[in-house]
Amino acid sequence: MKTILNLIKKDYILFWHDKPAVSLTFLVPIILIYIFGSIFSGGGSPQGIRMAFINNSNASVAKKIETALDTSSSFKIIKSYINDKGKEVKFDTNSVKDFIRRGNASAALIIPEDAYTDTSTSLRLKFYYDPKNAIEMQMIQGLLQQTIMAEIPSVFTASMQRKAESYLGMEKGSSFNRQIASVISKYYNVDTSVILHGMKYSFSDSVGSDSSRKAGNFFSNILQMDKEQLVGANVTSPDATRSVGGWAVMFLLFTITGASTSLFDESKSGVILRILSSPISRVQILWSKYLYNISLGCIQLFVLFFMGYLLFNINIFSNFLNLVLMIIAASAASTAFGMLLAAFCKTAAQASGLGTFLILTMSAVGGAWFPTFILPPFIQIISKLTIVYWAVDGFLKVLWNGYGFMDILPYLGVLIAIAVVVNLVSLWKFKRGTIL
Amino acid sequence: MISIKNITKKFPTITALDNISLDINEKELFGLLGPNGAGKSTLMNLLVGYVNADEGEILIDGERISTDNLDIRRKIGLVPQTLALYDDLSAQDNLEIFGSFFNLKKSALKYVVAEKLNMVQLYDRKKDKVKTFSGGMKRRLNLAASLLHDPQIILCDEPTVGVDPQSRNAIFEYLIKLNEQGKTIIYTTHYMEEAERLCSRIAIIDFGKIISTGVIETLLESLPYSQTILINKNHSTEKKTELFQKFGELINEQDKYELKPTNKLKLSEFFASMEENGINYESIEIKKPSLEALFLHLTGRRLRD
Repeated sequence: MKTILNLIKKDYILFWHDKPAVSLTFLVPIILIYIFGSIFSGGGSPQGIRMAFINNSNASVAKKIETALDTSSSFKIIKSYINDKGKEVKFDTNSVKDFIRRGNASAALIIPEDAYTDTSTSLRLKFYYDPKNAIEMQMIQGLLQQTIMAEIPSVFTASMQRKAESYLGMEKGSSFNRQIASVISKYYNVDTSVILHGMKYSFSDSVGSDSSRKAGNFFSNILQMDKEQLVGANVTSPDATRSVGGWAVMFLLFTITGASTSLFDESKSGVILRILSSPISRVQILWSKYLYNISLGCIQLFVLFFMGYLLFNINIFSNFLNLVLMIIAASAASTAFGMLLAAFCKTAAQASGLGTFLILTMSAVGGAWFPTFILPPFIQIISKLTIVYWAVDGFLKVLWNGYGFMDILPYLGVLIAIAVVVNLVSLWKFKRGTIL
Repeated sequence: MISIKNITKKFPTITALDNISLDINEKELFGLLGPNGAGKSTLMNLLVGYVNADEGEILIDGERISTDNLDIRRKIGLVPQTLALYDDLSAQDNLEIFGSFFNLKKSALKYVVAEKLNMVQLYDRKKDKVKTFSGGMKRRLNLAASLLHDPQIILCDEPTVGVDPQSRNAIFEYLIKLNEQGKTIIYTTHYMEEAERLCSRIAIIDFGKIISTGVIETLLESLPYSQTILINKNHSTEKKTELFQKFGELINEQDKYELKPTNKLKLSEFFASMEENGINYESIEIKKPSLEALFLHLTGRRLRD
């Protein structure tokens, strides 16, 4: 038994000294559990989803909906935009549509002037949307329905009262209510005024109960929501188009990290020494590695997108030039990431472990697996610091929105800036390191 | 001619080379002898321009070697201590890749690759992946990969580590042949017998310092004795160690004693004493002193300590 214990102890000592293995065993799963936990547990429900909003109605119910949206933590309601002259301007229908088309928000809710004037229906709303993220759109619609429905019972009561008043006249309607209240008062020995108050608020008080949910289904029939998809209506394969960029970028990072850390193998085997004993400089080796990795990344991404075209009919050719630019920028930034790992790590195992940890974390928070809006707010800030975020969103803008060069310039700029800055840091470190 | 002048190279925790100076002649097969960690590989790295010295300079035909002087590397072929090959590629692919670094034309490269594969007797295995080769075959290919550009100077950094005797002999033969063809060869090793067999002149290096340089025979003459006496261990000799120590320093080896006699020793007196004490002549062998003995004499330590 002692022998077995000694053997177990030996394995634990070896494991503990293998830092990549320790990190992959504990650190990576802990971080991923935290991220997924934040998303799927109650405490991590989406916060601050950007939604444009116009209220053109004077009806009190419209004001109630506006207040409910304003006070909801799920939404960040945007009612104005900054125009070309740098001036803040309230949305109108055209500008709000443009706002959505530009990807500044995924949805807009409009309460038109006549939302509550037509007595034949309860409430008419307009909803403009860009379903670039299927999950996001489902959540927006769900949350929006929940928020409006909370106000619907009072709308319904008011509508019924309005109908009764219009049919019976104001005096007869009130008399009918008083008579009913009087009968109930007689049999149950309750004050008439209390019953009248109860009749007035019965619907709104029951929100959240079973009966209110049943009522909700009924009320949804009387809520008229005119929906208009502003972006991506012509996308041939929406689900595949949405997801191809994220997965492609994640595997790009794995490929490039592997290729970059091959420097360790070449150094360990003495091949680097052999290469440097020929008329080749260190800078040339680094340039060759860098260009090789970029070209490999470009080939990989192109093949993945082309397979998307073959298998799912993803339209990659209608905006091909911009897709190519995004592919190059994403490959350059990913290569910089791989070279940074190679520069700062001491062994291939260390680079591989740290690389896996960072790639999985960046993919989770950067939007490769699910849209970033469902992450806690502080992680959403972190996500903007990742290559994955800018690459995934950039590909979506090209393939989903069909953006032109000027529109994707910010994405290209950020990715190239990451590539340049990170490479300068790597170069500085390579000069002080031992790998070359 | 290679001229190493007052070279010092320091690493964060160690001074690998401490004010070393050496001159190596053209067409010479020069041995650099020393234990592991003595500074041999660091000197090789400096000679090939892989790293720069902290102090001093190295000149090849008057031209200074540095990490920035790429052209001079065309004159040098480094045979690294490690097997600097791509295991997953074939022997031919490896040589074609390494040859391409010298910008050889495609036809010339094909020719020279075939020639070198023939030289190291691997032409028949040219399409086989290196990972299927034995240690000796890999060592031979490692040598061939360093000769593709026909260098004037060949730096061999312990090129026979972990090699079977047959491949070791083959490598020796290639090197002797190359030297005969006019190549200058610097050969580092911690095997005395290799240096004795190959090199006309050697430098002994220890703790980053050259402790002796010269022609092997001349260096051996500097020893205070001209012969070493080997005494086989057996039941009669093992009881007489005190007797042997009267004639010099006695080193206890695994299966024999090595006696390094004092200056005054006369062999006739030694043998007479052995006869008196009943020790058979067959247990005794007289040899010339080795470089191992020289290293021990110079450093007070065995080479492989």
